[in-house]
Amino acid sequence: MERNTQKLLDFPRILHPLYLFEEQGVAYAADLEKARVVELSAVMRDILKLAETQTQTGIVRTLRASYDANDISEAFETFAELEKEGLLFNRGENLKRSFETESKWRKLLVVLPSIAVDSLFDIETLSAGTNMALSYMIQHLPKYADLHFAGSQNRKITDGVYEIDIGIEDLIRLRSKIGETYYGILTLHQEQERWLLPLYRYREFPPILVQCHAPRGHGGQAMNSILRHYAAMRECDGFTAPSDYVREFYADYVWDPSFFNTLPNGVDSALFRPMDKAAAKREISKMVGDDRIESASTVGYLSRVQSEKGASVYLKLAALNPHLLFLIAGPNMGRYASRKLPDNLVYVGFHPREKLPLIYNAFDVYCFLSMSGEETFGLTVLEAMACGVPPVVPNFDGVPAVVGAAGLVADAESFDQDIATLVSYPCPIDFSNKINGLLNNTELWQTLSKKARERAVLFTWDKTARRIVQLFEELHRKKKLINPNRLLNVFTPAQPSEEEHPEPTYKSFVLSMNEHYERCLIRDAVYPLRVENGLVLSILKEHTPREAEAILAEWVPDETEARAILKRVRGLVDGTA
Amino acid sequence: MVSHRRYRLKQHHTFEQDDRKYAADLETGDIVQINDVEWEILSCYASQTRYQIVENLRKDYKLTAIFDGIERLEQLGRQGTLLHRVVAAVEPTVAQGQPRDQKPKVLVPFHFTGEKSSLDYLTNLNRYQFLTHLAAFAELETLSFPEEKKEDFQDLDAVRVRNIDVAAGNALTSPWYAMDGYDGILLLSQFLTDDLLYYRVPDVPIVHCIDATQRLQHVLLKTLLTLCAFQSPKDTLVVKASWMKEWIAELGMPADNVRVIPDGIDVVAPIGDKALAKQHTAALFDKPMFVKQPVVGLISGFEPSRGAVWISEFARANPHLAIFVYDTLLEQQYRHPPENVVIFSADDEETRSVLPIFFQALDLVCFPAMPGTPLSIVLEAMAYGAPCVAMTKYGMPPEVAGAGAVVESEGNDFGNFRVPMSELSNTINQWLKPSHTRIECEDAAKRLAQKFTWEKVAQEIVQCLEEGHQQSVNAFRRERNLSPSVFCRRYNPGSGTTESSVYRLGIHRYDCLQAALIEMLAERHTPAEIEAVFKHFQGKGFTSVANEFVLEMAFPTNVGKSILSE
Repeated sequence: MERNTQKLLDFPRILHPLYLFEEQGVAYAADLEKARVVELSAVMRDILKLAETQTQTGIVRTLRASYDANDISEAFETFAELEKEGLLFNRGENLKRSFETESKWRKLLVVLPSIAVDSLFDIETLSAGTNMALSYMIQHLPKYADLHFAGSQNRKITDGVYEIDIGIEDLIRLRSKIGETYYGILTLHQEQERWLLPLYRYREFPPILVQCHAPRGHGGQAMNSILRHYAAMRECDGFTAPSDYVREFYADYVWDPSFFNTLPNGVDSALFRPMDKAAAKREISKMVGDDRIESASTVGYLSRVQSEKGASVYLKLAALNPHLLFLIAGPNMGRYASRKLPDNLVYVGFHPREKLPLIYNAFDVYCFLSMSGEETFGLTVLEAMACGVPPVVPNFDGVPAVVGAAGLVADAESFDQDIATLVSYPCPIDFSNKINGLLNNTELWQTLSKKARERAVLFTWDKTARRIVQLFEELHRKKKLINPNRLLNVFTPAQPSEEEHPEPTYKSFVLSMNEHYERCLIRDAVYPLRVENGLVLSILKEHTPREAEAILAEWVPDETEARAILKRVRGLVDGTA
Repeated sequence: MVSHRRYRLKQHHTFEQDDRKYAADLETGDIVQINDVEWEILSCYASQTRYQIVENLRKDYKLTAIFDGIERLEQLGRQGTLLHRVVAAVEPTVAQGQPRDQKPKVLVPFHFTGEKSSLDYLTNLNRYQFLTHLAAFAELETLSFPEEKKEDFQDLDAVRVRNIDVAAGNALTSPWYAMDGYDGILLLSQFLTDDLLYYRVPDVPIVHCIDATQRLQHVLLKTLLTLCAFQSPKDTLVVKASWMKEWIAELGMPADNVRVIPDGIDVVAPIGDKALAKQHTAALFDKPMFVKQPVVGLISGFEPSRGAVWISEFARANPHLAIFVYDTLLEQQYRHPPENVVIFSADDEETRSVLPIFFQALDLVCFPAMPGTPLSIVLEAMAYGAPCVAMTKYGMPPEVAGAGAVVESEGNDFGNFRVPMSELSNTINQWLKPSHTRIECEDAAKRLAQKFTWEKVAQEIVQCLEEGHQQSVNAFRRERNLSPSVFCRRYNPGSGTTESSVYRLGIHRYDCLQAALIEMLAERHTPAEIEAVFKHFQGKGFTSVANEFVLEMAFPTNVGKSILSE
C-alpha cells in the first residue's frame, strides 16, 4: 500500500552548499553550511538534485518511474526531520547574496540565547535595564559592524542586522567557519549558562566579549560564574562592564583584572532632555490625579518596586520627609501595594519609554537606592541626569562613577559578603539629609542640574558601539601573541643534602628540546627548575594562566611569590615559542 | 612500527569544494575544513609513521606547518573527530611481531663515548664487549651528525653508523631521528644529560645501563634520581648488581623499572695452579707475603678517603693475610698502604693482561655490596675458584649465592660503611680453612664463568626491549578519557573568601581539585613525577590532600596510596 506523500516541506527549496559523494557504496551529502555529513538513500540523493528547481509534485512525478512511492514519501519525511535539525535546507531567507556583497565589512556574531532577537528592536517589550542597555547598544553597533544574531533561521532584521541559522549547539562544530567569518563574538554573561564556557577551549573562535552586568549577588552564584569564566577565558577574550567598579571589585579576587573592560552605557540625550518642569509636573499631576505634584518638591524613584531596588528604604525616606512628595514610577507596587503607605508617597504608574522624559522632568531629585550588587551603572540615573534632574546615589557599585560631580553621593553600608540577594544598605538618614540639602539650596540644585545634563550628554551609545569595536581590535592584537606551550618538563626527587635539606626535596627540569623536536634553548639539554615553576609549565599546556593562578593561589602561600612564578613561567613559554 | 599509534584514522572522506579542502568524519558526521598540509597528512596518516610523514612532506612544506598539521589533527582526535584515540591493542612492532630470526633494530646514541675519560679502563672495555655481543642479537645503529667528531665511533664496528644529512636551517634534534623505525634505544651514558632527551620519543622502549662505577659515585644518586623521573613504564633502568637495585629501593626511588643484568665476565685459561699464581703475584709486586700468607682479594667500591681508612683498619686487624685490593681510585691515590696490602687497578691492556694471575692467586674474595663495587670484577676474581665473603645489609647477593658467606654491614651512603671487623676477620679466617663447604663454594665460584656470559647479557637486553614494548601497550590500555576541567577560584558566600577548585565542563559542577590536578599531570607525566609534585607541596605544609578514594578514582595506580602514606 502506498503512503500518502504529505507536503512536509515546500519545494523548490534553497539548499545549503552541499557536496555529494559516495564512500564504500554509501551516498552522503556534506552540508558545508552546518559542517555535517548526512547519509543519503538513493532516492534522497536524487531528490536533492531536483530540490532547488522543482515542486514536490514535480519531484514525485520525475522520480516515480525509478522509485517506489513509499520510498519517495519516506525520503520527504526524512528531509523534514533533517530540516528541523537545520540540515541540508536553508531556513528562512536566502542571504547568500547579501553576505557576498558585504563580505569585507566586519561582522560580529551576537549570541544571546535567552533573549528574543526581535525584542531588542522593540524596547517597550524589555523590562530589565540590562536588556534595555543591550538594545540601545545593538541599535548603534551596525554603524561599525554587521551584527549576526545566532538563531534558528536566516533573515534580515534591519540594515546590517541579521538573524542567521546558527544555534548554540552548532557553535563548536562551526568554529573554523565562525573564526573565518566573524571579527568577534559578543554575548552576555549569565550565571546558569552551559554553552559558553566550553567555547574558550577552542583557538579557532574569534575574540569573545562577555558583557557583565551582575558581578555579585544570588548567593555567590554570580561571582562563581564570573570566576569560572575568568579562569577559562583565552588571552583574547574578556568581559565588559559598564563601569570601573566591576574591575575594581574583582581586583580583590583575581590577579589580572585587565580582563574586565569598562564599557560605559550611553543615553539618548535627544529623547531624555530637560523640559519645563512646572509643565511636566502639571501633566503628571493630571495623569495621576494628585494636585500636590504641581506644588510640592518631588523625589523620584523609577524602578521595579522591590527590596533589592531599595523600595523599603524609599518608604523610610518618605516617612522621614512628610514635607516632600515621593513619586514612584514602576510596573506596579508589588508587595508594597498591600501596605499602608505614607501619605506623601505617590505611585505614578508604569509608562512607555517615550513618556519617561516627562516622568523624570516631574522629579526635582532622582533617588537611586538599589542594594542588589547588580548596579554596575544605573541607566536610570543617567537618564534622569540627561533630563537635568540631580541624582542622589549610594556610595557603592558603579553608580557614583556615572554621577561624578553632577549629583550627590550618600552613605551606604557595602557588605563584604552577600546576604541573600543584597550586598549593601543605603543610609536613609544620610540620603534624607542630602535630598533636603539639595532641595533647600536653589543655587546648588541649579548647578547640579546643569552639570547633570552636561555630564549625561558625554555618555553616548555611539561611543559605546565604537568602544566595542575598539575592544575587539585590542583582543585581536592579543590573539596574535598567543602561542602554544610546547616546552617539555619533568619532575624528580632532588639529591638530598644532609646538611642543608635533611628532608626529601624535589625539583623539575625543563628540556632544551620542545615537542616539535626543536632545540628551543641553547647549551644544556636540561635545566633545573623549582617544582612550582614546573607545575605551572605543565598546567599551561592545556590550561590558561588564570587556571594556573588558581592553583598557585592555593599552594603558594606568599601571593607575591606566586605571582612572580606565574610571570616567570609565562615569560619562558612566550620567550621560547 | 607505527609510532603515532596513539591515534587511528577513522572512516572519512576528503574532498575539495570552491577551492577549499574538507575532511568528513563518516563516523561522527562532522566536517572539518583542512589546509593543504593537513590534507597531505591525512592521506598518509594510516600508512606512515609520524617520522615518515614529516620527512616526506618537509621538501614541500615548512617543518612547523607539518608539525602544526599533525598537532591539529590529533587535537581533533582528542575531541573525537577524524582520529580515534587508541585505547586497545596496537599495531605490532618489529620487536614483537617479527619472526624471531629477525633482529630488532636498536639505536645506540654515542654520546656516552664522551664520558670515556671519566670511567675506568675496564668499564670502557666492558661496554665494548657488551656492544660487540649485543650486535649478534640486535641490529645496532648510531646517528652521526656532520658536526660530530668521527673518532668517537672508532673501534665499534658492531654499530652501524647512520649519517644524518642536515640541511641548513634544520632545527630538529637527534631524538627526532630516533623515531625512524627503531625497536628500542640503548642508552649508556652515566651522567651526560643529552641522552635524557631520548626519553621524550614516544612508544620506543629505552634501556639505560648504569655502571655505577666508583669514579662516578659522586654523581650517581643525582643521575638515578633524574633517570627515574624521565622513565616511563616502557623503559628499563639496567644496573649491574643486585645491591644496586636494593639501594635504589632503599632510597625510596621506584624500582619497578629497574632490572639487574650483571656484565659478562672473561675468564682466561689458568696459568697453572694457585701456587704458581701466588709466586707470580709475589714476584710482580715484590711481596713474598703472597706465597707465605693466605691471599684475600678485596674488591673495593669505597669512596677513596673513607676507603683508605677502612682498608688500613682491615689490614691491621688481619696482619696474617696478604691483601690484594682492586680499587680504581686508591691505586693512584693511596701511596703508602699497610705492608700486607697491595692496591691494583687494570688501567690499560698490559695491566689488564696480568689481572687474571692475581685473581688466580686469591684464596678468598671479599667485597662490600655497595654502589661502586664492580660486580663483574668480583665475579671474575671468584671464577678461578675463590669463595667470597660479602659485606652487605641486603643479604647474600643472588649473583654469588652458594659460593660464599655474608657478614652483615651497615651504611647509608657510599662512605658511611661499617662492618664489625672482628666478625669479618673471624668469617674470613673460617673460610680460609679447608672444608667440604669451601670445596662446594669453590666449585660454585668456578661455574660463574658459565653463568655470566655476554651472550646472556645481550639476550636479556633484547628481552627488556620486548617487555618494554608490552609495557607501553599496557600503559596505553590504562589511558582514560577525561572530561575537561577548568581550575578556578570558588567564592564561598558563607565566609566571603575564595578557595581554589575545579569545575568540570561535562558534568557542570565543582570537583576535587587534587584529583583533577593528578589527572591533568598524568596526561604528560609519570606516576613518579606526580608523586614528586605532591610530596613537594606536602613538604611545604600543604596537607589538604584528598581522601584515598578520590585519589584512586582519579589515578588508578599506587600514586594515590603513596601520597597518602606520607
